[in-house]
Amino acid sequence: MKKYIGGRIVRAILSIFIVTVIAMTMIYTLIPRKLIFKTDPNYQKVASKTDDRARYMNTAYERLGYITFEEQGDMCKAYAKDNYDACMEADSSYINEIVEEHYSDYTIERYKGTGLVYATKDQPIASIVFNFFKNMIVIDHPYRVNDSSNPDLERKIYWGTDYNGLPALMGSGTEHKYLIYFDSSFPFVHQNIISINLGQSYPSYAYVDIIKVISQGQGSEKSTLQKFETGIESTSAVIQHSCTYKNTKNLDKLDTNKFLDNYAQCDTMKKDPSMIGTSMLFGVLGLLIAYVIAVPCGMLMASYKGKLFDHIGTVWINFMIAVPSLAFIFFGRQIFYLLGFPLAFPTYGAQDVRSYIPAVVVLGLLNTGSLMLWTRRYMLDQASADYVKFARAKGLSQNEIYRKHIMRNAIIPMVHNLPANIILTITGAVLTETVFAIPGTGKLLPDAISEHNNSMIVALTALYTSLSIMSVLLGDILMTLVDPRIKLTDDGGTN
Amino acid sequence: MSELNNKFVFVKEDITESEHIAAPKYSYWKSVFKQFFSKKSTIIIILVALTVITLSIVDPMISHYDGISHVNINNPSMKYISPNLQYLFGTNNYGDNLWNVVWIGARNSLGIAGLTTLITITLGVVVGAVWGYSKSMDKWMIEVYNVIANVPFTLVVFVLMYVLGRGFWQLIFAMSVTSWLGTAYFIRTQVMIIRDREYNLASRCLGTSTWNIVKNNILPYLVSIIVTSISRDLPSYISLEVFLAWLGIGVGESTPSLGKTISANRTYMTSTPYLFWIPVAVSAIITVSLYIAGQTLADAADPKTHR
Repeated sequence: MKKYIGGRIVRAILSIFIVTVIAMTMIYTLIPRKLIFKTDPNYQKVASKTDDRARYMNTAYERLGYITFEEQGDMCKAYAKDNYDACMEADSSYINEIVEEHYSDYTIERYKGTGLVYATKDQPIASIVFNFFKNMIVIDHPYRVNDSSNPDLERKIYWGTDYNGLPALMGSGTEHKYLIYFDSSFPFVHQNIISINLGQSYPSYAYVDIIKVISQGQGSEKSTLQKFETGIESTSAVIQHSCTYKNTKNLDKLDTNKFLDNYAQCDTMKKDPSMIGTSMLFGVLGLLIAYVIAVPCGMLMASYKGKLFDHIGTVWINFMIAVPSLAFIFFGRQIFYLLGFPLAFPTYGAQDVRSYIPAVVVLGLLNTGSLMLWTRRYMLDQASADYVKFARAKGLSQNEIYRKHIMRNAIIPMVHNLPANIILTITGAVLTETVFAIPGTGKLLPDAISEHNNSMIVALTALYTSLSIMSVLLGDILMTLVDPRIKLTDDGGTN
Repeated sequence: MSELNNKFVFVKEDITESEHIAAPKYSYWKSVFKQFFSKKSTIIIILVALTVITLSIVDPMISHYDGISHVNINNPSMKYISPNLQYLFGTNNYGDNLWNVVWIGARNSLGIAGLTTLITITLGVVVGAVWGYSKSMDKWMIEVYNVIANVPFTLVVFVLMYVLGRGFWQLIFAMSVTSWLGTAYFIRTQVMIIRDREYNLASRCLGTSTWNIVKNNILPYLVSIIVTSISRDLPSYISLEVFLAWLGIGVGESTPSLGKTISANRTYMTSTPYLFWIPVAVSAIITVSLYIAGQTLADAADPKTHR
């Protein structure tokens, strides 16, 4: 069994890898790179100035990992440190020599205004892919921070107490100050040692880590009265546990007022839940409604097979499967509107219950069709099994047979989909979220496509594929737990 | 005794009689149609489906409306006419007759869904039949299936539409490139169930080729399964087209479609609601009627329902 699951995990990782590589290769080779600037407002500002535009574009390309980009300043700093000023003149002999010697495989161009040189080199697709996977898992360690303005920085990991007086594993020289810490929110123990990096978003949420885009709170800042290391108490939205290293030259008075060391780059607390949080909240509540309605209905349909209830249920199932979900969502929204609910989520915002009810109910009902269909199917499959006939022969009541025999067996195949249903709520319900203007993850991918946010598309492909593959594996394992008769391996029970 | 004998007459020996089988005559397709048309509600649904399909084919031929050139765009009196006898569905913001807009859109949407279904079902059935039959192929295909099947379908379509660009054929490609594998897997499982039955074993012993066994012994059993797949796929591709158009990643600018009409008219949801709700209703009618007609046909095609 362990061997089997190990094999499954290896294959799952391989599948994720293959799918991501295919997606990356297609996106980075088939789509003109320049399109990422199409919807970037900052690009529009520099678009008319040739030099600024070139610098802006190449900087963006370099940050996103498309190219390596060196300007004359970088070249002179690297190869002619002693004669930097002489080197920095336009068309100086130094720079011509450097270019010839070190940048022969680069494309060399000159800024029209200053005449200074810059060099670009395309990253091959293989190295873009390699870097994506290389940077995917980041482990924090005491030698991670490089700050030339703070040479005396201690490099250590130690147990200390955080600003609340609780014990915490802290670091110096690490990216994060608090590596392991405790607080009152679920799951109470948190860590900052291992983090996942899926690249940076661009042009929307420019240069923000994609993981942060989807997992950080949204809306306006929420300030609370906090105590800082320096003893100051002030109302602030800073999340102290998230603080990361800030270079000494960037530290300002506000930072030194609050913090004793360089760890002053902190996330802020927001009023509304994150994209993932929002989508999961809607998704899980919707699922709950779907299961609460569909499972009993499917069971009743099975036990009254061929009767009126079964017919009504079948009409509903056919209706739900066949009607385009868009039509159903709009229909549902209109009905809730007539009942006095808002048309869109932002009307009353995340703090009002009325914003949630229409979307949650619509989402729940959308799922009932196929769920009822399968519940009914599984129940009927069991109802004609031999053990049911035997139970009837023993004289058990119909009710008892359904409750104790059929239902317990019919639930097994339904358990299989449960992890996938719950986990994939993270990916959001694209249509429902679009129609109700819910700030969840659902609209992220379509928006990324219309904005040509390539890195976001790649990251979401990798993320959604991993979630989907892992949840299928989880479903298989859960099924063996619910029903010990099921073996994932076919080696005759010798495992 | 002799009295009794007188009551019986010897029947003449007839050689041809032994050639007839005592069971009542059974024709598969006759039974399918008899079963199919046995319910009145089915006939209504089929009429609806046929009307919709006919209208979407015939109307664009008569009206010559192409969805791009807006003839009445400079004629304000033609715009936003509410549905009446002359303009059954009213006119839209360009002064176009919404009736024509809807039916040319329906034609393209049906075309996209129909072609996609055709491709996925053909590929799926052919590959699935061989896949289920050949054990050496199963080893490889199951790995390919495991890699692809777990990738969310909408994700595949999104990324492909992004990479390939918007368009009629691109959309068909994006929707069918991985989904045929699902059909193939479905067929493979069914074939595997039938494959090892005794009569196939006997057939193989007599030297029938794999292809002939698949074609003559296995595929006929799959008719109802295939029809079920079609009746499920066709509406789902129409819905998907609507879904993609709504998000702005469907067919290109020059191809009118139901999804694009719905998406373009969403701004009129409160001011002139009929512009939005009529295309939505038409799309719902198309998908529901096709789905139910298909499901009934699938039930009728299942030999177990024939009595």
